[in-house]
Amino acid sequence: MTKVLLRYTNLVLATLFVLSLLSFILAYLFPGQAIENLTGLRLLELTERQNSELKYAVDANILVQYWHYMGELFAGNWGVSFSSGLPLIEDVSHYLPASIELSAYALFLSFFIGLPLGFLAALRHHKFTDYSLLSVSLLGYSIPVFWLALILILFFSLQLGWFPLSGRISLLFEIPRATGFILIDILLSDSIDKSAALTSALRHLILPTLSIAVVTTTLIIRITRRSVIKTLNSEFILAAYARGLTPRQVLMRHGVRNALIPILPLLAMQFPTLLTNAMIVESIFSWPGIGNWLIQAIYQQDYPAIRAGMLAVSVLVVIFTMSIDLTIRLTDPRRRRAERATI
Amino acid sequence: MVLLDIKNLTLEIDISGSWVKALDKINMVIHEKQIHALVGESGSGKSLIVKAIVGALPVRWRITADRMTWKGQNLLTMTVKARRKIIRKDISVIFQNPINSLDPLLTLGQQLQEMLPTDNLTKTWFWQRNKQKRELAINLLHKVGIKNHQLCLSSYPHQIPNDVVQKFMIAMALASEPKLIIADDPTRGMEVTAKTQILKLLSRVNQVKSTSVLFVSHDLLAISNMASYMTVLYCGQTVESGDLLQLRKRAFHPYTQALLNSAPSFRKDLPPKSPLSSLDGTIPTLHNLPIGCRLGPRCPRARRECVAIPQIRRVHTHFYSCHFPLHWEAK
Repeated sequence: MTKVLLRYTNLVLATLFVLSLLSFILAYLFPGQAIENLTGLRLLELTERQNSELKYAVDANILVQYWHYMGELFAGNWGVSFSSGLPLIEDVSHYLPASIELSAYALFLSFFIGLPLGFLAALRHHKFTDYSLLSVSLLGYSIPVFWLALILILFFSLQLGWFPLSGRISLLFEIPRATGFILIDILLSDSIDKSAALTSALRHLILPTLSIAVVTTTLIIRITRRSVIKTLNSEFILAAYARGLTPRQVLMRHGVRNALIPILPLLAMQFPTLLTNAMIVESIFSWPGIGNWLIQAIYQQDYPAIRAGMLAVSVLVVIFTMSIDLTIRLTDPRRRRAERATI
Repeated sequence: MVLLDIKNLTLEIDISGSWVKALDKINMVIHEKQIHALVGESGSGKSLIVKAIVGALPVRWRITADRMTWKGQNLLTMTVKARRKIIRKDISVIFQNPINSLDPLLTLGQQLQEMLPTDNLTKTWFWQRNKQKRELAINLLHKVGIKNHQLCLSSYPHQIPNDVVQKFMIAMALASEPKLIIADDPTRGMEVTAKTQILKLLSRVNQVKSTSVLFVSHDLLAISNMASYMTVLYCGQTVESGDLLQLRKRAFHPYTQALLNSAPSFRKDLPPKSPLSSLDGTIPTLHNLPIGCRLGPRCPRARRECVAIPQIRRVHTHFYSCHFPLHWEAK
């Protein structure tokens, strides 16, 4: 147990170290002066005193530079944006929750739709339901996200007018910012008409969530189906039938858990794909998230912003996947060591 | 009293578009209190018969039989539910690979308690019932010779040595107090002491509880110590069945003879360093089965007539299906 924890912590730390190194090297690879890319400060616009302080760090050994960089990173000083001149840490912590919110809803939605449908397809293996679900999932998987988002806008926003075109919430509402997650913020605030604000926020959420969730849902259907079929064909399931258990008992007691354990890590691996899709969808729906912000930063060649955004997103992904992996590793009894004793 | 009566059981499997008879007209009768041995090479369809009896075959395979009855009730025409009830109550199966046939995510205790029939519980409240279940489970474990019940019940299947799991499987099979225990190669891959323990356990169950045992194996030595009746299977066909002693003394089918000859312990006349006898060739795959008698290509006595399927012939309680049986000239 402690060994496993230690090993995973080690792995996370090593990965994060590599990521930080990458982000540091990026500053050298981008055009312009490394120190400008790291801090976001234009050397020409600085006072002599600030300039000399920076020079002091720049002229040192590259390892010392990295040491300084890490120190500043942990102190929360991530540099400022070229374009807006605002501190990057504020920008990131402002935009990241919006992205997490969107991705989380999409992930939950695809779980809620994908897992039952995957089970259904597997239980009706080689039957019409199975084949139709498979073909629908193939269709969903092959639709490009940006195109799907545009079609959804075209149909539901422009043609039917059911859902708003862009943004997070109607501009009429002024939501005081507490956590950055809009639904929670609405529930926390007390100055506004909560139900109206919630309806508006949900209406804004539906189209982007849907367009991200489609691809992930289809993936989850396929992964679940495969795993359930494999589990149901395994020997202990046949043995359970041979012991005279009903199909329902077999599925509920022995099937579900055994089918889910191998796929949960695979599903966690879908999170990066989901986040990438979310970035594309954000910029289509003008969702004020980190993806939209990063793409803007790329357009404006805002190197410090690209560096910080990349670091923040990848750290998020690494920690998320690792923690899911760890949870599964710790809860899976098959991986538990045998305590040797005579019986 | 006849427990299980199978007549002309045929199982067809769809292999890339064409139906292949994996089992071809199997006949078997199991009486009460009898240890019945089912013998054959690997790939002869022994496990398929077991699965066909308990109904654990994929739905897409075709099963037909003239007769397949359990105490007079037809197993093939009854509803799935009724059949499952019979199997739950009267038939228990011990599988080849004990660890794979247990759920890897549940402790052995949970799986054993799942098998205990609920009508045997006398207590009313669920905590009393749980306690009683646990006591019953511990009793069962003691019966099969597992002393450290505490550790066994709280372990997962992969944490326990193979032979102990097999004993545990026997305990599970005994949980419902069945009339028939089907032991599908229970001693596979075990060393001799563990093997003897398992075999002794099975014979004791047979003697004490007068439970019938269908013992599926290719271990002739074990079988000859336990069983009273033997059915020999080759490539999905029953070639010979009869009283074990009679069969050993005078086998009619060349395959049975070859099988007996291949076990050196049965041949007292075997001089040292002489080559061991075995049939040439291997068992055919399901893709290209020979027509007629399936032993044909390997049979030392095969003649032209063997391309037709031989009828079952009978001498007292001894059934065989061969055109040119051994000891024929002598008779």
